[in-house]
Amino acid sequence: MLVDLPGGWNPLLGRLAWSQIPYDNPILAPLFVAVVLGGIAIVALITYYGKWGYLWKEWLTTVDHKKLGVMYIIIGLVMLFRGFVDGMMIRTQQAWAVGPDSSGVFGALHGYLTPFHYGQVYTAHGLIMILLAATPLLVGFMNIIVPIQIGARDMAYPYLNALGLWITAAGAALIMASLFIGNFAHNGWFGYAPIFEIQYSPGVGVDYWMWTLQLLALGTTLGGINLLVTIIKMRAPGMTWFRLPIFVWASLSANIIALTSFPALQVALGLVAADRYLGAHFFTAGLGGNLMLYTNLFWIWGHPEVYFVILPAFGMMSEIFPVFSEKPLFGYITMVLASFAIAGVSWLVWLHHFFTMGAGPDVNSFFSVATMLVGIPTGVKVFNWAFTMYRGRLTFTAAMLWALGALFLLLIGGLTGMMLAIPAINYMVHNSVFVIAHFHSMLLVIVYAVFGSVIFWFPKVFGFKLDEFWAKTMFWLFTGGTVLVFVPMYMLGFMGMTRRLDYVFNTNWHPYLLVMEGGIVVYTLSVFAFFVLLYVSIRDRVKNRVGADAWGTSRSLEWLTHSPVPFYNFAVTPHVNARDEAAWRRANGIAAVQPAKYVDIHMPNNTPVALYIGALTFVLGFALTWRIWWLCLASLVAIIVLMIVRSYRGDPGYIVTAAELERMEREAIARERQVDGSAGEPVVGGAPAVGRPAMAYERSDLPKTSTPPSMGPGAHH
Amino acid sequence: MYMNKVWRLAAPWMALLVGLWSSQADAGIFWIFDPKGVMADTNLKYMIIDVLVMGAIVGITALLVVWFMWRYHKGKNRGSYHPEWSHSNAIEVVVWGIPIVAVGFLAYFAVKGTFELNPYNPTVITKNMTPQSQRVDVDVIATDWQWLFVYPQYHMAVANELVLPVDTPAFFRLTSTSVTSGFFIPQLVGMIDVMPGMRTKNALYTTHVGEYQGICSDYAGAGTSWMTFKTKIVPQAEFTQWVQQVKASPKIMTEASFDRYAEPYINVHHRVAYFSQVPDGLFDHVMMEVMDGKTWPIPPMMTENMVAYMAKQSAEHRD
Repeated sequence: MLVDLPGGWNPLLGRLAWSQIPYDNPILAPLFVAVVLGGIAIVALITYYGKWGYLWKEWLTTVDHKKLGVMYIIIGLVMLFRGFVDGMMIRTQQAWAVGPDSSGVFGALHGYLTPFHYGQVYTAHGLIMILLAATPLLVGFMNIIVPIQIGARDMAYPYLNALGLWITAAGAALIMASLFIGNFAHNGWFGYAPIFEIQYSPGVGVDYWMWTLQLLALGTTLGGINLLVTIIKMRAPGMTWFRLPIFVWASLSANIIALTSFPALQVALGLVAADRYLGAHFFTAGLGGNLMLYTNLFWIWGHPEVYFVILPAFGMMSEIFPVFSEKPLFGYITMVLASFAIAGVSWLVWLHHFFTMGAGPDVNSFFSVATMLVGIPTGVKVFNWAFTMYRGRLTFTAAMLWALGALFLLLIGGLTGMMLAIPAINYMVHNSVFVIAHFHSMLLVIVYAVFGSVIFWFPKVFGFKLDEFWAKTMFWLFTGGTVLVFVPMYMLGFMGMTRRLDYVFNTNWHPYLLVMEGGIVVYTLSVFAFFVLLYVSIRDRVKNRVGADAWGTSRSLEWLTHSPVPFYNFAVTPHVNARDEAAWRRANGIAAVQPAKYVDIHMPNNTPVALYIGALTFVLGFALTWRIWWLCLASLVAIIVLMIVRSYRGDPGYIVTAAELERMEREAIARERQVDGSAGEPVVGGAPAVGRPAMAYERSDLPKTSTPPSMGPGAHH
Repeated sequence: MYMNKVWRLAAPWMALLVGLWSSQADAGIFWIFDPKGVMADTNLKYMIIDVLVMGAIVGITALLVVWFMWRYHKGKNRGSYHPEWSHSNAIEVVVWGIPIVAVGFLAYFAVKGTFELNPYNPTVITKNMTPQSQRVDVDVIATDWQWLFVYPQYHMAVANELVLPVDTPAFFRLTSTSVTSGFFIPQLVGMIDVMPGMRTKNALYTTHVGEYQGICSDYAGAGTSWMTFKTKIVPQAEFTQWVQQVKASPKIMTEASFDRYAEPYINVHHRVAYFSQVPDGLFDHVMMEVMDGKTWPIPPMMTENMVAYMAKQSAEHRD
C-alpha cells in the first residue's frame, strides 16, 4: 500500500469486509430486502414466460441503434427515478431537521439522516441526475433518432454503440452497488479538493464516485465518437448539411463538446486516483499540491457537459414546436449558428462556477462577460421558437405542452442565469439554494424536453401513441411539483439559505421547506401518473396504433419510414430533396411513394462481446474501489483479451435479401394501411418519382453513396 | 374542461405561495433584500439593475409566447396561418439585436461591479479611506468545523463569534486548516472561499449596529451545518469594552493548543470561546504548516451515528 488506509486490507478481498455491509442501517436494510425480492420476482417472471432467449437475442446482444437507444432511455428513466427518491430524501430531511428543537431518529440528531448519510444522498442525487439520467436519456434519443433522421441504416460503429451502452450500464450498476456495499461519496457530485483526499474521505465512497464517473465518461466519449462519425459520414443522398434536421445539428454540436470535454474529466479523475491510491499530491493542500487546479479541471469539463445535455434538449424542442405549429422552424440557419455559438462559448465560461474562489477582478470580469455571451444565442433560440408558433396553427398535445413548459423554464433559468453571471450578484447567491433552483430550472428544461420527446417519438419507435389524457395529467402534476419545489427554493435563496444543509438552523425557513415537501408529494403523484400512462397506453396499444406519420403534421425524414421502425430503418435509402423531407413529400403528394425495386442490404450481426466487456468494466470498477488488486488485473486482462479477439474476428455481417425485404415491407405497409386509411393506396414510384433532380429513393443502379455499417475485414462483398 | 380542473387544483397552492411571500416579505427574513453593510448593499444594487433589464426582456418574451399561444390556437381562427413562413430578416435582426444590446449593457455593470466588490480591494470601501483611517483586521482560520477569529491588533482570538465595531472597515484574511469552506454573512458581505494552505481576503463596512448570521457557505464535511457564527456589530465603546472582556479570559491559544483546537469538532451547541492571548503570526504559521503537508484527518464514518459521536465528543471535554 502506498497510502495509509484506515481499516483493514487483505490481499484477497481488499478493503471489503462484513462490516462494510450496512445490514444494521434502518433505511438501507429494508431497501436491500425489497431489491432482492424484486430481483427474484423479475427473474422468476422472465423464466416463467420463457423470455430469456428473447431477452438475450433481441436486447442483450443487440447492436441495433434503436434498441440500444431504448435501453439507454430505460437506464435513464430508472436512474431518474432513483435520483428522484434521493431528492425526496433530501427534501424530507430539510423539512424535518429545522431548528434545535426538531427531533431525530436513526442516530441523527435532527431528522432521520446523519450528516454522513445526507452527504451521500445529495452527492448521489447530483451525479445520478446529470450523468445517469439526463445524459443516457439524451444519448438514447440521439441514438434512436439521429440515424433515422439522416437516412442511415445504423450507427457508423454498431458494436461500439453497444459497448458505450454497456459501459454506461456498468457505471449505473457501480453506483447502485454503493448503496448496499460500503458507502458513497459524501462531498458533492463535483467532489471538491481537498475534501476528497484520503484524510478527509477515508472510506470507499469517493472511490465509488471516481470510478463511476470514469466509466460514464468513457461510455459517453465512445458514444460521442460514434454519433459524430455517423452524422458526418452516413447521411443519405441529398441530405446536405443545410438539410439536416435541427435535432441532428444539435446532436452534432453536443457531441463535439462531449468528445473534447470528457477527456478533461478523465484526466482530472486520474489525478485524483493518483492522490488517493499512490499518495501523490496533485490536489492536496500541502506538499506542492494545488487544490484550485482540480476545481478548474473539473469545470473545464463540467460546464461544457452542461451544454452537452442542454443542446440536444434544445434540438428536441426545435423538432416538437414546428410539428405542432404546422409550419417550418423559424430561422433554421440561425438556430444552427446559435447551437454552435453555445457550443463554442461553452469552453470559455467554466470559471463562473467559482467566482468566489478569489480570482482577481480582471479574471472574474472576463468570465462574467463570456458567460453573459451565452445569453445571446440562447435568447435567439427562445425567440425563434416563439416565431415558429407565430402565424402557425397550434395544437396543444401533451408533447407540445412539455416543450412549452421547457420554454418557460428556460426563460426563468435564463433570467436567474444572467444574475449569476455577474460576480457582484454571484457573491451573494453562490452556494446558496438560489443556485440550486437556477440549475434545476435549467436541468428541468432537459427533463421537460425529454418527456416531450418520449411522447413525440414513442409512436415512431413502438408503433402506437401514448395516452394523451394521462400524458397531460402527468405534465400538469409534474409542473405543479416544479412550481411548489422551486419557487420556494428561489425565495430561500434570497433569504440567504446555503446549500447542502443537513440541519437547518433558521426556523424562519421552515414554512418554505414544508411547501417544498408538498411539492415533492405532487411530483410523486406525477410519477404515478407516468406509470398509469405506460399501463394505459400499452393496454390500449391496438387502438392507439399509428402509421408512418404519427402526428399527421410531421416534418423530418424519420416520419417516412414505418412505425415501429423496422430494424433496417429504410428498405431502400431515401433520397432527400428538402430540409423538411416528410413535409415536402406530403406537400408534393408523394408521401406514400414506395420504392420500385428492392436490393439486398447488409446488416451487422448481434454480439455478446459488448455485454461481456461492460460486465468486466463493472468488475474492474468494483475491484478498483475496494483495492482488490488481483481482481483488477484479471478483469483488465480479460477486457483487453476480449477486445483483441473481437478485433481479429471482426463481423462479416449478414445479408437481408431483396425478397425478404419486400415481404417485410409488404407486411408493414399492410399493417399501416389498416391504421391510417388516409394514406391511401401506396404508389409504387421508385426513382425518380417527381421529376429530376428530385427523387424519392436512391437509385439502385447508381453506386452506393452511403456505406453500410463498417464491420471489419471481409465485410464488403 | 380539462384546463378548468387543472386551475382549480392549482389555485390553492398558488394562493399559499403568494400568501407566504406577502406575509413574510417585510419581516426582514429576505436577507439578500435587506442588506446592512456597504458590500451587501452594492450586491443588491447590481441585482436590481440586472433584474430590471433581464426581467423586461424575459417578461415581454413570456407575454409574446402566451399571446402567440392564444392567437394561433388551431381551430380558434384568431390569427392567419402561413404554412411556409419561416424567415424574416427584420425579425432576425431584432432577435439577435436585443440580446446583444442587453448583454453589452449588462457587461459594463458586470465589470464595474466586479472591481467595486473585488474581495482583495473592495473600492466601495477603500475609496473612502486614507492610510490613517481606523480599521480592524481579522484573521479568519476555519477548522473542521469551527471558526477562529484572530484579532492581530489586539493579540487575541475568539472562536465562533465575530464582533466588530460599527462605522469601521474590517479586513479579513482567511485560510483553512483542512478543507475548503466558505465565509458568508448574508446581510453584510458575500461569499469567499476559505482554502487550506491559501490566503483569500474580504472586507466589510457597515453603519448598522446589530447581530447578523454568519454561515459556512461551502460544504466542508459533517459539521458544516453547525459551522455558523453570530456577527455582532457594536458601537465603538462597546467594542473596546468587549476587547477588555476577551483579554480578561483565562484561556490562551498557543501553536500547540491550536493543534488540538483544530481537530474535528462539531459545534452543535454553538460554543463560543475567548482566548486572551494568541501568538503573533498564528495565521501564517497555520498556512505554512498546511503547505508543508500537515492535515487534520477525520476518523472514518465519524457521523455514521451522530448521537453516539456527540456523546464521544462531549466526553473529550474539549473546552
